[in-house]
Amino acid sequence: MFIRFLRVHCGPVFLVVLCVACATTDFRPQPVRTGDLVRDGWAAITNGPVEDRVLWQYRTGLELIRREQFGSAAGLFDDALDLVGGRYGTDRSAKKSRGYFSDESTKTYIGEPYERSMAYYFRGLIYWQQGEIDNARACFRSAQIEDSDAEGQEYAGDYVLMDYLDGLASHRLNGSGWDAYQRATNSATLVIPERFEGVGNVLFFVDYGNAPEKYAAGEYREKLKFRDGGSRAIEVIIRSGERAIHLGAMDDLSYQASTRGGRVMDHILANQAVFKRTTETLGDAALVSGLILAQNRKTQEAGLGIAAVGLVSKMFSAATTPRADTRAWDNLPKFLTFGSMRLPPGRHDIKVEFLNDRREVIETLSQTFQIDVNAASADTVIIVSQFNKKDPTL
Amino acid sequence: MCKYLMRTNLYLLAIVLTVGCASPGVRNPSGVPVTEMRADERGFVTGTGIESQDLVTVTDRMARSILDTPEIQNFGQIPRVALDPVINETRFPINKDIFLTRIRTQLNRNARGQVRFLARERLEALVAERDQKRSGAFTSTTDSRVQEFKGADFFLTGKLQGMTTRSSAGVSDYVLYSFQLIDARTTDILWEDFAEIKKQGLEDAAYR
Repeated sequence: MFIRFLRVHCGPVFLVVLCVACATTDFRPQPVRTGDLVRDGWAAITNGPVEDRVLWQYRTGLELIRREQFGSAAGLFDDALDLVGGRYGTDRSAKKSRGYFSDESTKTYIGEPYERSMAYYFRGLIYWQQGEIDNARACFRSAQIEDSDAEGQEYAGDYVLMDYLDGLASHRLNGSGWDAYQRATNSATLVIPERFEGVGNVLFFVDYGNAPEKYAAGEYREKLKFRDGGSRAIEVIIRSGERAIHLGAMDDLSYQASTRGGRVMDHILANQAVFKRTTETLGDAALVSGLILAQNRKTQEAGLGIAAVGLVSKMFSAATTPRADTRAWDNLPKFLTFGSMRLPPGRHDIKVEFLNDRREVIETLSQTFQIDVNAASADTVIIVSQFNKKDPTL
Repeated sequence: MCKYLMRTNLYLLAIVLTVGCASPGVRNPSGVPVTEMRADERGFVTGTGIESQDLVTVTDRMARSILDTPEIQNFGQIPRVALDPVINETRFPINKDIFLTRIRTQLNRNARGQVRFLARERLEALVAERDQKRSGAFTSTTDSRVQEFKGADFFLTGKLQGMTTRSSAGVSDYVLYSFQLIDARTTDILWEDFAEIKKQGLEDAAYR
């Protein structure tokens, strides 16, 4: 009887095994890492998985800013933001990532809203540095828009710096910028930014601390969560000769990341998790009861059938991948701030000190470098990061 | 009957598994060849921002509209126009010069003689050339000491302004393109026209 059963059904079972064995897996070529972020970034952008390209453009672009290679950084951010801005409509990889049997990370990465906002922010800084203040303002506005679909409206579009810089750019372009300034001060919970009239000709855009971390929580890692990256530095002092400015954080990216609220994708992943759990439970029950029934000669055939159904159900469960996408722009800072000085044209020595929560200077983070202040009426834009790799002698 | 059902079920499961788990394969494994499109055509790569079809639509319309201006038609002599960069107040970083460049080339191509544009963006090179002629380093077919650089009768400029709405239903971007012809002597705005374009889009749920 049992042999007959095997003979009759071994065809389909063989077919099933064949299907599972022959299904192609996602092949993701990963370029060899050297430890040099720029070199690795270019390799990943050129030869790495296409769905990770924007991620590497973000990472490499920011690293290039920190190495003062602004032209290359601008190109990378432009490429990435073209994709971010054109994401509307049908996207095959996104559709696939919503499927039960595909990881969310198979979709083309464009980042969570705080990451997209940062891409616009850093591109905006380069525009400002190049004297294209209206394009810089456009970037800051887009950055704020990216943050505007938070689940709780009180957290929508609440970057202080984006509104502030939007207003400052308008002020520089002979507009008022007052409404943007008011929005900025209304959102400000850490530091109230100074009025535009007091802003000098040397603009310091400072970032420090570690990027928010993404992790997957839940039974099947289906919930995307954020962890504060932390920062040793709490405050910054920038000195030039007798002048000094004290800066506190205006925006905290960990706060921005964690206040966005639930994503639509979270619901999709939650459904996948339910499906996975149900098919697994069903499979366990069917397998166990089937095998028990198979012990009895009279119910052996039915029992083996139920066990087979259980097996298939468990295979479905195993193939379901509700894991949340945790790819993250990991060289972002935690804090953003802004300050300015009035300096005459020419070369100036600058010292940047980062202070800890006891207001002590963290010597290992201190930086000294020189800047050339523009002779023209154009602003001199200095981007300072805790992670800068500035050449101290220019 | 029971056996029949069980066997059928197993076959069906095998089929479902085959269809459900097999990878769909690679689409367009050889890539997609470059598709040449008209600049005013809406391509398959689109966003809610300012795109080439908007540029073409807006500048064509402005170029036609400028030529219909009575002040241009009845100016007496050929009016000289200088370009003043467009002000971008939208949320889209753009190459601002491209709008005025296209209006200028449209007018130069289609209405030669009715207006003349001044090459102010080349002024540095032009001044250097004139100075070389004046110093005798370069030859000159006319008296180089005579001031021949023309002043502008009009300034052509514009402004791009935008309004954005974003909600769970998607993003909507409205852009107002306004252009002006300003009398350089009196600061009168002699001509003004606008075009407006609104776009909406919704990203895939995987990005929301």
